[in-house]
Amino acid sequence: MSLHPSYVKVFLTFARNSLVRDMTFRANFLIDTLGSISWMAMNLGFYILVFQYTDSIGANTGWERYPFFLFLATGLVVNSIVHALFMTNADEFSELIRTGSLDFALLKPIDTQFLVSLQRIEWSSLGNLVFGVVLLGYSLVQIGYAPGPVEAALYVLYVLCGVAILYSLMIALAASSVWLGRNQTLYDFWFYITNFSRYPREIYRGRYGDPLRWLFTFIIPVLVAINVPARSLVRSLEPQTPEDWVLPPFAVVAAVVSVLASRWVFNRSLLSYRSASS
Amino acid sequence: MAVIEIEGLSKSYRVYQKKEGLRASLAGLFRREYRTVEAVRAVDLAVEPGEFVAFLGPNGAGKTTTLKLLSGVITPTAGTARVLGHVPWKRENAYRRRFALVMGQKNQLWWDLPAAESFRLHQQIYRIEPSRFDRTRDELTGLLGVGQLLGQPVRELSLGERMKMELIAALLHSPEVLFLDEPTIGLDVVAQYNVQGFLRHYQESRRVTILLTSHYMKDVAALCRRVVVIALGRIIYDGSLAGIVDRFGGHKVISLEMTDGQVPGDLARFGEVIAVEPPRVKLRVERGVVPEVLGRILAAHAVEDVSVEDPPLEQVIAEMFASSGAAPEQEGAESRQ
Amino acid sequence: MRNRLTTWWIILRISLEERLVYRGDFALGTLMRFLPIVTQIFLWGAVFAAIETTHGRGGTIAGYGQDDFIAYYLLTMISRAFSSMPGLASGIGRDIRHGTVKKYLIQPIDMLEFLLLYRVAHKLVYYVVAAIPFALVFFLCRGYFPGWPEPAAFLAFLASLVLGFLLGFFLEATIGMVGFWFLEVSSLLFVYMLLSFFFSGHMFPIDMLPGAWKTAVELVPLQYLAYFPAAVFLGKVTGAKLAWGLAIEAAWVVLFVVLSRVTFHFGVRRYSGFGG
Repeated sequence: MSLHPSYVKVFLTFARNSLVRDMTFRANFLIDTLGSISWMAMNLGFYILVFQYTDSIGANTGWERYPFFLFLATGLVVNSIVHALFMTNADEFSELIRTGSLDFALLKPIDTQFLVSLQRIEWSSLGNLVFGVVLLGYSLVQIGYAPGPVEAALYVLYVLCGVAILYSLMIALAASSVWLGRNQTLYDFWFYITNFSRYPREIYRGRYGDPLRWLFTFIIPVLVAINVPARSLVRSLEPQTPEDWVLPPFAVVAAVVSVLASRWVFNRSLLSYRSASS
Repeated sequence: MAVIEIEGLSKSYRVYQKKEGLRASLAGLFRREYRTVEAVRAVDLAVEPGEFVAFLGPNGAGKTTTLKLLSGVITPTAGTARVLGHVPWKRENAYRRRFALVMGQKNQLWWDLPAAESFRLHQQIYRIEPSRFDRTRDELTGLLGVGQLLGQPVRELSLGERMKMELIAALLHSPEVLFLDEPTIGLDVVAQYNVQGFLRHYQESRRVTILLTSHYMKDVAALCRRVVVIALGRIIYDGSLAGIVDRFGGHKVISLEMTDGQVPGDLARFGEVIAVEPPRVKLRVERGVVPEVLGRILAAHAVEDVSVEDPPLEQVIAEMFASSGAAPEQEGAESRQ
Repeated sequence: MRNRLTTWWIILRISLEERLVYRGDFALGTLMRFLPIVTQIFLWGAVFAAIETTHGRGGTIAGYGQDDFIAYYLLTMISRAFSSMPGLASGIGRDIRHGTVKKYLIQPIDMLEFLLLYRVAHKLVYYVVAAIPFALVFFLCRGYFPGWPEPAAFLAFLASLVLGFLLGFFLEATIGMVGFWFLEVSSLLFVYMLLSFFFSGHMFPIDMLPGAWKTAVELVPLQYLAYFPAAVFLGKVTGAKLAWGLAIEAAWVVLFVVLSRVTFHFGVRRYSGFGG
């Protein structure tokens, strides 16, 4: 008898259980889905308003209206995947590890990080994913560019790298609540950091902008998460700086390193785990 | 070859003090005071395969901490332990497949889903072969009589039913070692009885090794021949239940039924009068002087019937805790969770 | 009156103690609230840079120059420090749902009064704690501001802040009261938050909105929660318009005070009808 569970099957069971649960609370599910879509729609509205006053964002960056919408769409895709798979789990993990209720997870003969990160899937985030894909398609049509199979595959790869990077940051922050206690600031911190990632790198310019850009590209690589896949598709923005050649392979490396780093933090946090007294 | 071997196992915690008042809170920004709590102190224990051992002790004695150490949920400060040859806190998958931990009043099943779905998840995680899984599940649900509740969301079940589901979940992968932490706490008498019966049957038929912690004497008396008493993190007794009374029972109870229906008023000089219900009276007398006291009573009064008994086990244990410096645990009292 | 002051002091003290327990939270939290503004500043910087390449220097958007945008966002931080009421509506909803609202009905405490006092205490604590980080940030960014407003405008600014607090409180309290009729306040609250985020001026100055949109938004009180005080300080709203603005804001406050009272009254009636 094999010692290891089939991780694919376990994940599918998580997905199924989560779906069953979400369907039991159908009203909430619908409200959540509609809610996040409305949020995205208003965001889009904001940028439509901005483009009334300007043709592009950033001088000579190439982020004109539809390339920028493509960027937004990529942001939607990456973030909706992170939300769907990991958000609730990270929150709950933070709570469990802080209150000492993680015991049951530690008893199971399965990788603890896998269990903790994926046990709950938020199907309502998929609404955003659909919205993102639709916006992506629409933008590509307006730009007049149809990506070939290689470009499409690379796009998916970079999206997954982005997801991996954001996940790693999220879980590392959640794990740190075992040392730092109540996690509201941590949650805010994640939100603020990823806030930076939602804009094209090119806007970070100047005396404070350049170091920030460098920090969030190479030290905490959140800027890579959405920028790299979006840029890989926008034909009009041919690589303009040496950085543009470096970033795609860097994204892959950063994704791997981030996940490994998050695993290290995760395991360290388990060492400090203190089960709640009874 | 012992299934569980513990040597010098210790676990201590740092607990931070929070003081009252505004000034203290501000001071807390810069420096925090703490004290060290020793939950488990140099515990030695060996358990053979197939044994059913009870851990008895007051709240905070270290019983649950010991179980958690043996489950690998927490790591010790000192000492070693091996269960089934594994070091528990390494949390090897190979070890985790072979044991189970059940904690009273703590749920691991998905709250909003039927238990059946949680069981299926278990099957996937433990990689239990489907036909074996079905057989085990049916057998367990049959024994506990909850088959028809499998499709109901766990939150709709009563406390007793939920506990039974938790037990089933723990046993689906046929563990060789079972750790039970207060499994019957909060359950009504009938449910307690059912669970006890189930555990006894299960243990006898499968020869699993079980470590059970409980406050309830009835659990212990019904199920275990070997009792380990823990107080303040140390083991103060390890042996049979009867032996506790022999070792710690300092008194015996003499029950008298007076012939003339009246209870004499001067019995207090023989011992402590603990109950008077004419024509019956009970006296608490130190063990060593029982024969002598009995003789004197019988010589002085007309007695219809007499019996000499051990004091209630709970009382002996309460005294045992009290003498070791820990607060006694009362049977049936609400347990703080 | 003395009793009330004592209650104030107790609430204040407990709130402060509560906040001090989580010391990690405390220190960073305040500064971190400024982080989203940083990205907004960069965004608008990029927008203006693009405008510059096509139209040359000194472009404005709806009358706001690049520096004006930064000043505007910083000022909305202040307006929102007064008008945002985290947890108010959801707290009321939760109290109703869990039955803890009964304590207000049984004991001689007026619910709205208590909540208001509590909120004032919390805000005071917050201002004391946040004063230094705020002052620091504003000092560092003083170059973006077109200077101090005239005394009259400054007074109007202060008045709009206080009115903003009252408006925010009674508006959200009214939303919370909906919990007496519908168990789930959160959906309504979400819609309110969504609309508020985009149309209160939190995300962009309302002046940017084109014609019909602008008129629609001006009919709704949301602008007073973020946009109005900032605009007053920057001198975008002056003279008669300013006076009118304040008057209308005061009117909205009165409306919501009444509305919250009325909904509370009828809500309690309905609630008690269920034999609680």
